[in-house]
Amino acid sequence: MAKSETPLLDELEKGKWPSFVTEIKKAAEKSPMANDLLHQLELSYKDRIGHWKHGGIVGVKGYGSGVIGRYSDRPDLFPNVQAFHTIRVNHPSGWFYKTDALRSLCDIWDKHGSGLTNMHGSTGDAILLGTTTDHLQTCFDDLSEAGFDLGGSGSALRTPSCCVGPGRCEWACVDSLDLCHHLTMNFQDEIHRPMFPYKFKIKISACPNDCVASIARADFSVIGTWKGDIRIDPAEVEAYASSDLNIQREVCDLCPTRCMEWDGRQLKIFNEDCTRCMHCINLMPKALRPGEEQGATILVGGKAPIVEGALLSWVLVPFMKLEPPYEEIKDLILRIQDWWSENGRSRERLGELIKRLGMRTFLRALDLPATPQMVKAPRTNPYVFFWPEDIQQEVK
Amino acid sequence: MSEDLKERVVAAFREKSKGDKKMFYIRDVTKWFPGEDRHAVQNAVKALIEEDALKYWSSGSTTYIVLAEFFTEG
Repeated sequence: MAKSETPLLDELEKGKWPSFVTEIKKAAEKSPMANDLLHQLELSYKDRIGHWKHGGIVGVKGYGSGVIGRYSDRPDLFPNVQAFHTIRVNHPSGWFYKTDALRSLCDIWDKHGSGLTNMHGSTGDAILLGTTTDHLQTCFDDLSEAGFDLGGSGSALRTPSCCVGPGRCEWACVDSLDLCHHLTMNFQDEIHRPMFPYKFKIKISACPNDCVASIARADFSVIGTWKGDIRIDPAEVEAYASSDLNIQREVCDLCPTRCMEWDGRQLKIFNEDCTRCMHCINLMPKALRPGEEQGATILVGGKAPIVEGALLSWVLVPFMKLEPPYEEIKDLILRIQDWWSENGRSRERLGELIKRLGMRTFLRALDLPATPQMVKAPRTNPYVFFWPEDIQQEVK
Repeated sequence: MSEDLKERVVAAFREKSKGDKKMFYIRDVTKWFPGEDRHAVQNAVKALIEEDALKYWSSGSTTYIVLAEFFTEG
């Protein structure tokens, strides 16, 4: 048996999981680019160092983002990946494609690039991996003709993304798909022409299950929620009780605020103590449904641990009705971005800026009232700071 | 769009690019003009990029602005 040229990568094909190495090998049979990629990756594993240089070219005519420049630092060994740029394609809201659209995307990429894709990247975009500089504009032209646009990269608004929302989910409290589409169309300039201190991400989940993890991954998180009581169908509660579900142990005892009571016949919910964790609704979907008055909680400041540590988003607006044309939320986003652009240091995310200057400064700039829901960690700070004019008012 | 502001932006880039540093954050650029509205400076930069006098340079996560003659692809 012939000795493998990629013994280290072969290890990544073992086990029962799908392997990206297997996929690159398949592509390498017809693509010299994919073949060189495979061998450069093997060298990276052998040398224990990445062999990519990044940075430089950013896009196509009129765009400052959407293309990420990548170059091999060993073009002598791997000439076919001397330039191996990534193209980010703005995905449709909720990642709903018709197969026709996917076929046309793949055909375009076979024509202009390595044929390798990442469906989808962490940003949500369809990631087309590996093309040369001279193919960027023609590839973009073909993508445009097929109805696609580039996504965000660099110090820009990144492609907004959302969960599948009302398209497939009965718990959706807001139309995440429509909102995501509206915001994407509204903020085209901010996506394509980077003018921010750093990246800015908007992610929308239609219910508190937060399937796109917007609370951890977005500077501006929108999470669907409701006001009022959880709707209960007593007949369905009884049906669950007579099934395998142990309502006391699996539902009531695991409620984080213990706001539910089960006497063996009737389920009571003390809605004023509910934190909308969705645990009970997830376990008893036929019996419990979100309340009737629906909208979203707006949170800000989430980010992954680059430059500074990871942050979860804070509540900024506890409840906002979200209906087309979404003027209120668009205005809020603009005001936040403006404050951040004015005060943020280079490469400082919104959450880091709020931590540096303080939530009260942020709220004052946005002219928003402080509310109890904004308290992120209660009873951790014994100091209360007042604005000087507040003290004067108190004295009078 | 003020032609005067665009000329001043290019002049500032030339002055600041005399040293080793050629690439600047947009935040650096707006700070060079403390008396000017930040949006006006940003719009001037965008217009100059459209005219190919300036270029974006991006690492993928962060974007810089550079005079076209100092732009290097890789």
